[in-house]
Amino acid sequence: MISSSILSADYKAPGGKMLRVRLTEKNGRIENVKISGDFFLIPEDSLPKLEKMLEDTRLDEKELKLLVDRFFHGTNAQGLGISPDDFVKAILSTKSQ
Amino acid sequence: MVETWRLIDLEYREDPFRNMSVEEAIPRAVGEGAAPNTVRFWHNSNTIVLGCFQSADLEVNFDACKASGTEIVRRFTGGGAVYHDAGNLNYAISLKRGHPLVPGNDLQLVFQRLSEGTIAGLKSLGVNAEFQPINDIQVDGKKVSGAAGSIRWGTTFHHGCILVASDLAILGKVLNVPRVKLADRHVASVQKRVTTIRDELQKEITTRDVRNAIVQGIENVYNVRLEQGQLSKSEAANVKELYDTKYSTSKWNLEQ
Repeated sequence: MISSSILSADYKAPGGKMLRVRLTEKNGRIENVKISGDFFLIPEDSLPKLEKMLEDTRLDEKELKLLVDRFFHGTNAQGLGISPDDFVKAILSTKSQ
Repeated sequence: MVETWRLIDLEYREDPFRNMSVEEAIPRAVGEGAAPNTVRFWHNSNTIVLGCFQSADLEVNFDACKASGTEIVRRFTGGGAVYHDAGNLNYAISLKRGHPLVPGNDLQLVFQRLSEGTIAGLKSLGVNAEFQPINDIQVDGKKVSGAAGSIRWGTTFHHGCILVASDLAILGKVLNVPRVKLADRHVASVQKRVTTIRDELQKEITTRDVRNAIVQGIENVYNVRLEQGQLSKSEAANVKELYDTKYSTSKWNLEQ
């Protein structure tokens, strides 16, 4: 039986900014995800790319970390108030909130 | 030789959407080399300004906004939502990318360096202002100003708002503040961790007084001269286009 569910989490980076994650999960994978918050990320238009890359990724720390790192290296994106690991933790925390 | 920057006081207090169009048109022109480095001062009346990554649905209390006639506009920089009224002074600094003051690609350094003129101005008024990373100016542990910025379009851009004599009671009503954020800072409400210049000085002070002090602060700290100017014709045309296609639309302001 395949079921999809909507998960959400508000995650505050230690000493930093907020990441608010809203995602649809199906069979342990991200169907689609929307990340918002009061962080800084340049270039600003890179965020939709990350959201797109996350589609169909398993909600698993190792897999998410690999993908988020690939995003930051591939786009030269610079976060402020949030680290690549914070994105991973924020997304994972949807499983427990 | 002392560098000259353009000083612009253009504002549309009752039209936050046009104000934000001007805010974007200037750094675009500076980056293209079509305008000199520029400092702008301006006000909005009764407006929430959202950061570009924020969700309007999550951050805004729409019922409270409706009751108080508060407008909602999204800016093109990251960071958090702020409340603007006539007691809040906005400033924006657009420098051609690579300017010796902020030569690199480090947004944290941009916030720190380009807050220094503002801090000098506030200190000259007797306010014990200091930079608080990531992007705040604090007085005795309370936030009095927040900044945001970007490095794009060939421009290093920094803007901030200064609570001079704002209505902090409305501020607490129109914005939803996530519980995890308050818990992290060990305070119970927005009002308790922000202050105004007026409250700190315990006397009446106008945003014009603060603007004048910051002009001096910027000239002294960066060793530049600010010369009053206006938008070029092409900047004005770009303001109109940005207004029509972006800042007057609910798609940009609310649907993200």
